[in-house]
Amino acid sequence: MQTKRTIFPNKLLPYALLAPQLAVTLIFFIWPAAQAVKSSFEREDPFGFRTTFIWFENYTRLFSEPGYLNSLTKTAIFAVSVTLLSMSLALLLAVAVNRVLKSNRTYTTLLVWPYAVAPVVVGILWWFMFNPTIGIAPYMLRGLGIDWNHRVDGNQAMILVVIAASWKQISYNFLFFVAGLQSVPQSLNEAAAIDGAGPFKRFWTIVFPLLSPTTFFLLIVNINYAMFDTFGLIDATTNGGPNQATNILVYKVYADGFLGLNIGSSAAQSVVLMLIVIALTAIQFRYIERRVQY
Amino acid sequence: MVENRPWLSFLTHLVLIVGVVVVVFPVYLAFIASTHGSGDFMRGLVPLLPGPHMLENYGRMLTQGISTAGAPPVSIMLMNSTIIAIVIAVGKIAISLLSAYAIVFFKFPFRLLAFWIIFITLMLPVEVRIIPTFAVVANLGLLNSYVGLTLPLIASATATFLFRQFFLTVPDELMEAARVDGAGPMKFFRDILLPLSRTNIAALFVILFIYGWVQYLWPLLVTTDSRYYTVVMGIKRLAATADSEPLWNLVMASVILAMLPPVLVVIFMQRLFVKGLVDTEK
Amino acid sequence: MATIDLIDLKKNYGNVQAVKGVNLTVADGELIVLVGPSGCGKSTLLRMVAGLETVTSGRIEIGGKDVVRAEPAERDIAMVFQNYALYPHMSVRGNLEYGLKNRGTPRAEIDRRVQDAADILEIGPLLERKPRQLSGGQRQRVAMGRAIVREPAAFLFDEPLSNLDAKLRVQMRVEIRRLQRRLKTTSLYVTHDQLEAMTLADRLVVMNGGLVEQIGTPIEVYDRPATLFVAGFIGSPPMNLIPAASLSGGENAEALQLGADTDIVGLRPDQLHLERPEGNALTLAGTVELLEPVGGESHLHVQIPGTEQPIILTVQGRPKLEEGDTITIYARPENIHPFNQQTGWRTDAS
Repeated sequence: MQTKRTIFPNKLLPYALLAPQLAVTLIFFIWPAAQAVKSSFEREDPFGFRTTFIWFENYTRLFSEPGYLNSLTKTAIFAVSVTLLSMSLALLLAVAVNRVLKSNRTYTTLLVWPYAVAPVVVGILWWFMFNPTIGIAPYMLRGLGIDWNHRVDGNQAMILVVIAASWKQISYNFLFFVAGLQSVPQSLNEAAAIDGAGPFKRFWTIVFPLLSPTTFFLLIVNINYAMFDTFGLIDATTNGGPNQATNILVYKVYADGFLGLNIGSSAAQSVVLMLIVIALTAIQFRYIERRVQY
Repeated sequence: MVENRPWLSFLTHLVLIVGVVVVVFPVYLAFIASTHGSGDFMRGLVPLLPGPHMLENYGRMLTQGISTAGAPPVSIMLMNSTIIAIVIAVGKIAISLLSAYAIVFFKFPFRLLAFWIIFITLMLPVEVRIIPTFAVVANLGLLNSYVGLTLPLIASATATFLFRQFFLTVPDELMEAARVDGAGPMKFFRDILLPLSRTNIAALFVILFIYGWVQYLWPLLVTTDSRYYTVVMGIKRLAATADSEPLWNLVMASVILAMLPPVLVVIFMQRLFVKGLVDTEK
Repeated sequence: MATIDLIDLKKNYGNVQAVKGVNLTVADGELIVLVGPSGCGKSTLLRMVAGLETVTSGRIEIGGKDVVRAEPAERDIAMVFQNYALYPHMSVRGNLEYGLKNRGTPRAEIDRRVQDAADILEIGPLLERKPRQLSGGQRQRVAMGRAIVREPAAFLFDEPLSNLDAKLRVQMRVEIRRLQRRLKTTSLYVTHDQLEAMTLADRLVVMNGGLVEQIGTPIEVYDRPATLFVAGFIGSPPMNLIPAASLSGGENAEALQLGADTDIVGLRPDQLHLERPEGNALTLAGTVELLEPVGGESHLHVQIPGTEQPIILTVQGRPKLEEGDTITIYARPENIHPFNQQTGWRTDAS
């Protein structure tokens, strides 16, 4: 790995410099993760006196449990919907801002601030708008003949969390798409215009393909976001309900472990989640390696 | 723009305006709700225009809170959130600067191992190791303390990588010149490297301040004493009871207060915010 | 004021030998230029003297004191870097003061030295500016100033002019020479530019492949290159190197008088003539392949039977010749440099 051409000759100083970071990492990251892996192979008796090593029993039980399989499906639906919805809206807005010459800074400011809103607050905002008794959205939907009650209807609950989660993530995607669009050379656009391509055709044949690195990167980041950063949002809107309809993996691992106190199963769920993050990170870094020299 | 087509410009602005409306509307609604008296919600529909009770609602939430919902005054929670967000941001920046400095400017046994240990933290978000991490913090006696709220969150692979990238772009000769000028490692770090990293530190601070502010699950787990509530988790407790009691105006006043600090940071430090966001993902 | 002694100095990077044993003594007040192609080890050598590179074996003495284990700051040297390495966040004054402050120099003394350096280099008006507000030439002066204020035992220059454009380079070259004469500070100067080396040096050290090829005054090195490499490296256009076999025989036998081990003959372009000089002369007949006027003089490329490369000669003014003309060129016997291909050495070494 790269260092400077000349380096400081001190022998102990680098360890002292690394000590704080490594201490926090080992105590609060590595050790607990190792504990999770360990307990995922164990069963604790109800009084916590004895633990037995049971190999993969927690895992086999987990994957035969309908509740967990349901959670996997819901997570997939949720992640894919949020990713598609927020990315396509963000792309549309980014392309529009990129066409505007004068007021693009104002528009950008007005569009990016939701990044700073906590997921749980996002949840409360949308929960308020869609509140079946006083919310404005159900009132308007009633006018269209739709009876909205996400406390009863699982599909409506899913729609609600997807919309809320996408709303927050638009700002992030928007900024990266704008950055991506600005790096597309203007000369290519001009050349295509001279070749007779109209604005829409130019976008799909020239600009969009050149954006593919950004798009791919955002795809991974958004899946990551939907799977791991939306705990607060779910907690504030649906609590995973109704009837598990929005019980995504991160919510379930919390509910089972903290509220249900099922240590073995929760640990196994943690390990599965870790594997998912590792896979996503690996994909992301394989892609980044091509861009940046580490 | 290559050509001038009026209808296309019109469409562009239309898209943007609709986008802005969609983005702003939920917050607008919350703000309107926060300006009404609690009786205004009895009619079954949220009002769409401001009411006269704004100062009253905000004043009450800031100074008293709602004791029946177990929520302390918002001003205390805002103070906690500010302290925690700043400690997390400063802590992450400080320990990441030091470790990036060690990795780039020194050669020593186990350097690669240290790099990988830091890298691994990327793959272990709080959400996937909740119970054992909670157990560690509980065993250390750090529940209901600022240390417990912040320390477990201040390891940062992203910040370390950002500084490492930046340090690698600092010309070798600068460090050599400083050595010839008689600067030891810590003097070089303080006199040359830190001032050069100013912009990066500021940009990262914006991102990490927001990161610290929006933390929810971790404060939820480690605080049971309302003196340590952060505003983001306090609101959730408020909202949970608001459904049974018509306190929408007060809940929404707190929501606006909870959003305001980080949103203002983004709006007024937009340039640093964008730089921080884009750099940390490189 | 000090001497610098390098004794059997070696540097390995893993299995690669970058410097293969160099012995050199720099006299007090002398300006020595290390010159050679990139990768010849000259920069590594300089950086070892500075203490920025560890020494594999051998000794470095500055002012008679062994400094191999000393930190750069303890060696009483100052260095001027190729990219200047000015601290970007400090003013010019801050840059000049930094090293003195680190040494605990008293305030009044710092101010005096900074003022002196600013006067010498005429950068007084720039003292409060930041490096990014300066032109390339001004940055170069500040970098020199940072070295001067330290009043060190020795200056080390690492290609200090190569980031400047051609015109400024000539100007700064003259200034460095003048400055060094005035301060009489022992100096080691690294460059890959042989013209810069020739004009600056009290003595030249020509390096190649981690070894010293020749040490001598610029004129000595030019007039009697010790090796084939030096012959080809110093001088522009470079010395013509011709297989001896293609010259011998006929009337040239008398002029050549070559030893048995000579198989390559070197001829400097400016020591070849179109008119026969008095006395014995080497005579070569050939065809003009190319005529390059370069202003006051012209370069003639002449193809001679039995050689692959055309011979280049420098003639004053603009000869009335055309490409394709057949001409005869002459060289005095004392201007013939005999070499052995195998060893690379000069064969008439005294």
